[in-house]
Amino acid sequence: MLKVLLKKQIAEVFRSYFYDAKKNRMRSKKAIAAWIIFFLVVMIGLLGGIFTGLSLSVCETLAQLDMGWLYFLLMGGIAVMLGAFGSVFNTYSGLYLAKDNDLLLSLPIPVRTIMTARLLNVWLMGSMYSAVVLVPALAVYWVKAGASVSRIICGLLLLVIVTVIVLLLSCVLGWVVAKISVRLKNRSFITVFISLFFVGAYYFFYFKANGFIREFLLNAVSYGEKIKGAARGLYLFGRIGEGDGLAAGIFTAGAGILFLLVWQVMSRTFLSIAAAGGKTGKTRYVEKQVRQKSVSGALLAKEFARFTSSAGYMLNCGLAIILIPASGVLLLVMGREILPVLTEVLSGRPDSVAVLLCAMLCLLASMNDMAAPSVSLEGKSIWIPQSLPVTPKAVLRAKTAMHLILTGIPVLFAAICAAVVVPASVPVRLLLCLTALVYTAFSALFNMVLGVRMPILNWTNETGPIKQSGAVVAAMFGGWGFGIVMGGLYMLIGYRIGAVVYLLLCILLFGAAALAMLHWLDTKGAEEFAAL
Amino acid sequence: MLRIEHLTKSYGEKKAVDDLSLHIKAGEIFGFIGHNGAGKSTTLKSAVGILQFDEGTIQIGGKDIRKEPVACKKMLAYIPDNPDLYEFMSGIKYLNFIADIFAIPAAERQEKTRKYADLLELTSDLADPISAYSHGMKQKLTVISAWLHDPQLIVMDEPFVGLDPKASHLLKEMMREHCDRGGAIFFSTHVLEVAEKLCDKVAIIKQGRLVREGTMEEVRGDDSLEEVFLELEAE
Repeated sequence: MLKVLLKKQIAEVFRSYFYDAKKNRMRSKKAIAAWIIFFLVVMIGLLGGIFTGLSLSVCETLAQLDMGWLYFLLMGGIAVMLGAFGSVFNTYSGLYLAKDNDLLLSLPIPVRTIMTARLLNVWLMGSMYSAVVLVPALAVYWVKAGASVSRIICGLLLLVIVTVIVLLLSCVLGWVVAKISVRLKNRSFITVFISLFFVGAYYFFYFKANGFIREFLLNAVSYGEKIKGAARGLYLFGRIGEGDGLAAGIFTAGAGILFLLVWQVMSRTFLSIAAAGGKTGKTRYVEKQVRQKSVSGALLAKEFARFTSSAGYMLNCGLAIILIPASGVLLLVMGREILPVLTEVLSGRPDSVAVLLCAMLCLLASMNDMAAPSVSLEGKSIWIPQSLPVTPKAVLRAKTAMHLILTGIPVLFAAICAAVVVPASVPVRLLLCLTALVYTAFSALFNMVLGVRMPILNWTNETGPIKQSGAVVAAMFGGWGFGIVMGGLYMLIGYRIGAVVYLLLCILLFGAAALAMLHWLDTKGAEEFAAL
Repeated sequence: MLRIEHLTKSYGEKKAVDDLSLHIKAGEIFGFIGHNGAGKSTTLKSAVGILQFDEGTIQIGGKDIRKEPVACKKMLAYIPDNPDLYEFMSGIKYLNFIADIFAIPAAERQEKTRKYADLLELTSDLADPISAYSHGMKQKLTVISAWLHDPQLIVMDEPFVGLDPKASHLLKEMMREHCDRGGAIFFSTHVLEVAEKLCDKVAIIKQGRLVREGTMEEVRGDDSLEEVFLELEAE
């Protein structure tokens, strides 16, 4: 039974490698092989390569200082972090939000078997992430510091202990997320904020990583002494990798006891949380005075409600709502120092800084692509706008307006910030703002056209239209292309006609294209939407 | 109220509906029966302007669905076989959305929401997200949204599926009242007993073609509707 369930779980995790959801059929053998190779290249080549590099840069110094334990503490810590955070949401969704929980619970399968299968799946996923760090770390250590039987056995034990710690952390964090989710009402916003925090933290550590490692290696002896004195447990953990059998025994026993405890807690709560299905508590209905909206107002409000209801939609298609104003603030803070220097460097091409800033704003505006998947997101509920007394044109305009408002306001703010700090004449500053705004309108319509032309209505998970649809990919990369061409052309030949004429030409081109797309959407596009 | 003339709709090579004509008058409950894949849903979806058809004409209140779709849709309400609603909205937000589209004044929509939600025992669930609704609750919400704007014609695809016995009974009463007030109802069903008891007229469709149509008495004669239906299916 457990084998069957586990096979099903793993098949689900790697389903996209074997099954093409868009075409609703199995992939060809060649495509499956290509996907598996891609997976191996990413996991072993890319991630494994990064951690092999890190191990090489740290291992030798620490091994020479006879501080191999600090090396294993560092690499083990990274493995635990990557494994736990990589699988926390997987644990939550895999254990508690699995769509087949109801089905499996209704079958004659013991609840513990279902939970074991789910946990094994979480363990395998966590182990995969941990191994990407620890396997190269161990291999590098054995090569640099020498391998012995005890080192190899203890090293492999360390790998197992780390995977158990990852499993424990994933379970605890997944359980906390599940408990919170059952109670939370504004889950989508909270998910967005948490995700943004992690993205910010990731980039912070990514850019600071070299500095941290340098500092760590320079002060390794003093850090090592502090850890030895204050946190004996951490020292012993690192010692496992060096081949310390006693430390390995203590940690193996400790991890085993902790696992049993978590297992007990989860067995008692699994059924109640899994059966709750992530639903929030009941909201008491109180009749309130409502204000009547116009048809266009109602359609626009519906689009905003759709956007704000999904963390995935907001994160994947609306991140620039925050990035654009943030770049404006950054320009205000640092622009007066950087822009004059850039102007001097690019003095051969007058006003190129202003045009490049404008192109950068256009590029950032293209990162917002909420209109592109909006048609696909209608999904099976597309019968509603089709059966209501609204024109397809009004529906498409509401979707475009949502994109325009959510991008136009941040772009206007950032453009004003840019115009304030850029060293240029008043007409150039004004045109910078106007070009960015006209481009935003063009971009919104471009997204909408792609959304109508490339709809996917038979999705089972909204990640499909939001992340993987042709419309979204074309909108984003197409948009970036426009921004790059705009900046690049000025640097190549545009500077010869001057920024004012160049930006006026851009306004004319983007404006004319926007009008043409608006006309298409109102006529042919509306027909295509009605026929979906 | 609803006039379908020579409706033909194909999916690729397959004719889903073939030269079908039906007339539904004000005050009539018109049942539409047929086996799975006979063309019922295709006809209903064409009638409400969701599906574009190949040949024929469909008029609602004298207006052509192709030429004046918005004017036609203002007169009708549609309840699909599977209530895929906006799951990101709460029940009350969905009803307000529908009310906004039909420009129902605030006081009137509140009164009607109260009336029908109380009747179908959905009032206490209106603030909850639709994603938390059961199939039956979603079905009740589509029924309320259909009755909210007092349409002249209500088109329903298998409206009793998922409803509990009490809600089914209430819906039948609501249908009768609606037609007594001069409205018309065109609905598909597999439950022949319901059709037999509820419908003024009935039409049987087989492989896209109309095989029998008329008042209940005309269609069934001295037999039961089930017998007639099975007999026609066997032919």
